[in-house]
Amino acid sequence: MQALLSFDKAPPFAAPLRFFLTAPLFALAAGLLLAVAGPSLLASRWVPGLLGATHLITVGFMMQVMLGALIQILPVVAGANLASPLATARWLHAGLSAGAVLLACAFLFVVPSLFTAAAATLGVTVAGFLVATGRALRGVPSTSPTIRGLKLALVGLAGAVGLGVLLTAALAGGWALPLLALTDLHAAWALGAWAGVLLVAMAYVVVPMFQLTPGYPARTSWRFPWLILGLVLAWSVAVAIGLDPLVRLAQGLTALAGIAFAALTLRLQAQRRRARTDATQRFWQIGLASVILALAMVSTAATWPAVAEEPAWPLVAGALLLVGGFMSFIVGMLYKIVPFLAWLHLRNCGDGRMPVPNMNRILGDAAMQRQCLAHLLAVILLPAAAIRPDWLARPAGAALALASGWLFGNLLLATLRYRRYHGEIMRGQAAT
Amino acid sequence: MSHPKSKHVVDARYLEPPEPFVRTMELLDTLAPGERMLLLLFREPHPLYRVLQKNGYSHETELVADGTFEILIWR
Repeated sequence: MQALLSFDKAPPFAAPLRFFLTAPLFALAAGLLLAVAGPSLLASRWVPGLLGATHLITVGFMMQVMLGALIQILPVVAGANLASPLATARWLHAGLSAGAVLLACAFLFVVPSLFTAAAATLGVTVAGFLVATGRALRGVPSTSPTIRGLKLALVGLAGAVGLGVLLTAALAGGWALPLLALTDLHAAWALGAWAGVLLVAMAYVVVPMFQLTPGYPARTSWRFPWLILGLVLAWSVAVAIGLDPLVRLAQGLTALAGIAFAALTLRLQAQRRRARTDATQRFWQIGLASVILALAMVSTAATWPAVAEEPAWPLVAGALLLVGGFMSFIVGMLYKIVPFLAWLHLRNCGDGRMPVPNMNRILGDAAMQRQCLAHLLAVILLPAAAIRPDWLARPAGAALALASGWLFGNLLLATLRYRRYHGEIMRGQAAT
Repeated sequence: MSHPKSKHVVDARYLEPPEPFVRTMELLDTLAPGERMLLLLFREPHPLYRVLQKNGYSHETELVADGTFEILIWR
């Protein structure tokens, strides 16, 4: 029985952990950038420093956690194993971290050669990841909506990074491309077809598992990833042929589809069996409310383009979507994944014969709930700062820096406790 | 709990990890030769599949409309 309990094929803890510990530092940098640069950073969505801060969050924080987590969860949710997870984690982490720094610096200092270096680093790194995961997923049938969603999300990642590389090349080389339309399309691939579809595919597993809700209805689950990818593809065709009404239709429908998914998740959460609201649940509530607001703004802008010309409109929607939505979901999941992995690896290293501390002893709910309050402050202040940058830009930046620094502190604490318990178990084993 | 597919059922849909895994293993230990058990979950348990395969068990999975994965296990 004890031998059976060993979860084989789990990648070493060091493989995903490096991503989880580095990611908050990029969000911290984004917060500090806003706190230092102040109101000028929020003059419009095209301010280079703001684009730099945005990519510190999207590439430095989001992509870092998402790709790192995929190394861990591919065997769990898809039964697919990377050939050498630790080696993959090492080069992927180095490439993503270097690429995020280069890209942020390219925007901050507007240096063409840095754009080229960032595009090359991120392009090669993500291409390498796609090859590695493609090999792992080869021959894995789509027996669940999660596996199908995962595969489609990887198509989304290729599209997002491909367009990103094209945009940086255009910026570095001064190419005559419709940069505004392509930037929106890049965001649609990155946040819809990649991050959105991946989040949906993961939600099918983690929402019922962590929050003890009913499952997502099967028919909806199978269709939703295809719907998002199809809409983003239609959006791409519309940009390619220069058909603006179709661009706006695809934009509006993509946003409405996201709202429908968030509403379905809220409905499932309302039927949850867990009486107490833990930190993960709290983060998901913040995330779902933010996403619904942000996507309502996106669909409004698609219907009445005049409102999107108000400079604060896309900034409010962007802050809500990235920090309020994606960051909240990701932090909520990290707070389940890190203590669980620590517990799992401790139990496996003790061979089931040594006592293993409860997950709460690795990272307690109270510490996560306190950090959640700091995160909520940032989620409120950042959109408000887009409306009143002169008053709130610096406090909002400071709030994001505080929440991210605190997240780093919590995850570091969990890591140190894991190491201490690991040492105790190894010593205990040696003594028996 | 009974189910048309088996009288031996672990309904793990509202249990946190690693409870579904532990309860499945405990029930498998009590099965008589030729008997089948059914695990109900809102996800596909790939780590469990590997353990089952290693120990000579077979399984068959069906995703039903409400999002439940019905996993029939036998040896």
